[in-house]
Amino acid sequence: MNELDEQLREVLPRMRRFAVSLTRDPSSADDLVQASLEKALSSWSSKRPEGDLRAWLFSILYRQFLDAHRRSRRYSRMLELFTGGKDDHFEPSVERTVVARSTLQAFERLNTEQRALLLWVSVEGLSYNECAQILDVPVGTVMSRLSRARQALRLLSDGEITTPALRILK
Amino acid sequence: MITLPPSERDLHAYVDGQLDEADRTTLQTYLAAHPDVAEQVLAWQRDAQSLRAAFSGELHRVANPELDPAFIRQRLRRNRTRHYASAAVLLIAVSVGGLSGWQAREMTLVTGTLPMADAVQAYRMFAVKDDMASDWSPTKVSDAQGWLDSNFAQANRLPDLASAGFKPVSGRLTPTEQGAGAMVVYRDAQGRTLSFYIRPPGERNHLLPRGSRRDGELQADYWSGSGYNYAMVGPADDPAAQAARQALKNPI
Repeated sequence: MNELDEQLREVLPRMRRFAVSLTRDPSSADDLVQASLEKALSSWSSKRPEGDLRAWLFSILYRQFLDAHRRSRRYSRMLELFTGGKDDHFEPSVERTVVARSTLQAFERLNTEQRALLLWVSVEGLSYNECAQILDVPVGTVMSRLSRARQALRLLSDGEITTPALRILK
Repeated sequence: MITLPPSERDLHAYVDGQLDEADRTTLQTYLAAHPDVAEQVLAWQRDAQSLRAAFSGELHRVANPELDPAFIRQRLRRNRTRHYASAAVLLIAVSVGGLSGWQAREMTLVTGTLPMADAVQAYRMFAVKDDMASDWSPTKVSDAQGWLDSNFAQANRLPDLASAGFKPVSGRLTPTEQGAGAMVVYRDAQGRTLSFYIRPPGERNHLLPRGSRRDGELQADYWSGSGYNYAMVGPADDPAAQAARQALKNPI
């Protein structure tokens, strides 16, 4: 048990970093990490596959985030019915009026899976195989999605996506 | 082994350091000869580099004690204990409720409806007295059954206890809360008495399962049929009365 806790403590900063990259907000990131650790600890003996502890924890965290995100999307759709407003702040789209000026800003406008992939591969150095296991898709799919994520990041960083709204402003 | 010109996937694998030594050398040679491809690869490498730089600070955030595995483990345990505790409280509450409900039912049964208590009382008051005023006697024109039928619609046939030596000797109407009841007293040659008692069902139309109970020195056998409750009451330990009860068990 103590040995496991030591291993978890080592990965903890990386989990928090991954969570921040998903939620873009440190305090909700920590909530996400907490929920993921609870899940990991309670299913420890039965579910843990052989292999990299970090990859396993990332996959739990990623799934927790998707679930929570889906729930809050449902909630905000319901909210829209009453307010008539539309909050797609985190949805990347060509209608964006802001052109990212740094890689990080560009990164934050990618969709969830692209952000996760780039963080796993470029920042954490996970192998394509590990990513494929986390996402439960073939390695080939991981590679083509990664390729698309890189292109998108490149375009956003270069500010090559201009928008109709911007053109009108000019 | 990769083939040249390299696919886009090979280029990404190169950026991510996921090519083996030989492939990496091959690609480096190729890139040196193709500056346009090299420029794209360099851009991806720079993006990866700036992402690493941008996120490196995140690794050095102040530790959050609530995320420590030991703390989370403890919290899980506490939650589990709380769940067990709520389950236990619920179980206790349900059991207490159920038991006291059952207790209350038993109490109302005991106080309210000792089966055919009035039959036993009627026996004590009248059957053992020779001078009991009788509404019917063997000297009357109609027999005991006729007298009973004139007072109760569809009453059971009177038991024939002659085989045990008992004959009907007197009959008496008795008031009950639910209407008239009647008792027919049987006596044998030795002067022992038994009573056959008929009455309308008690409160809430309470019909009785066939049964028997002892009340002091008396025993009451009771049953229900065609809208009335019946009882036969007599001395509990008397062998002749027991014989009569045997006769009763045969179809009346």
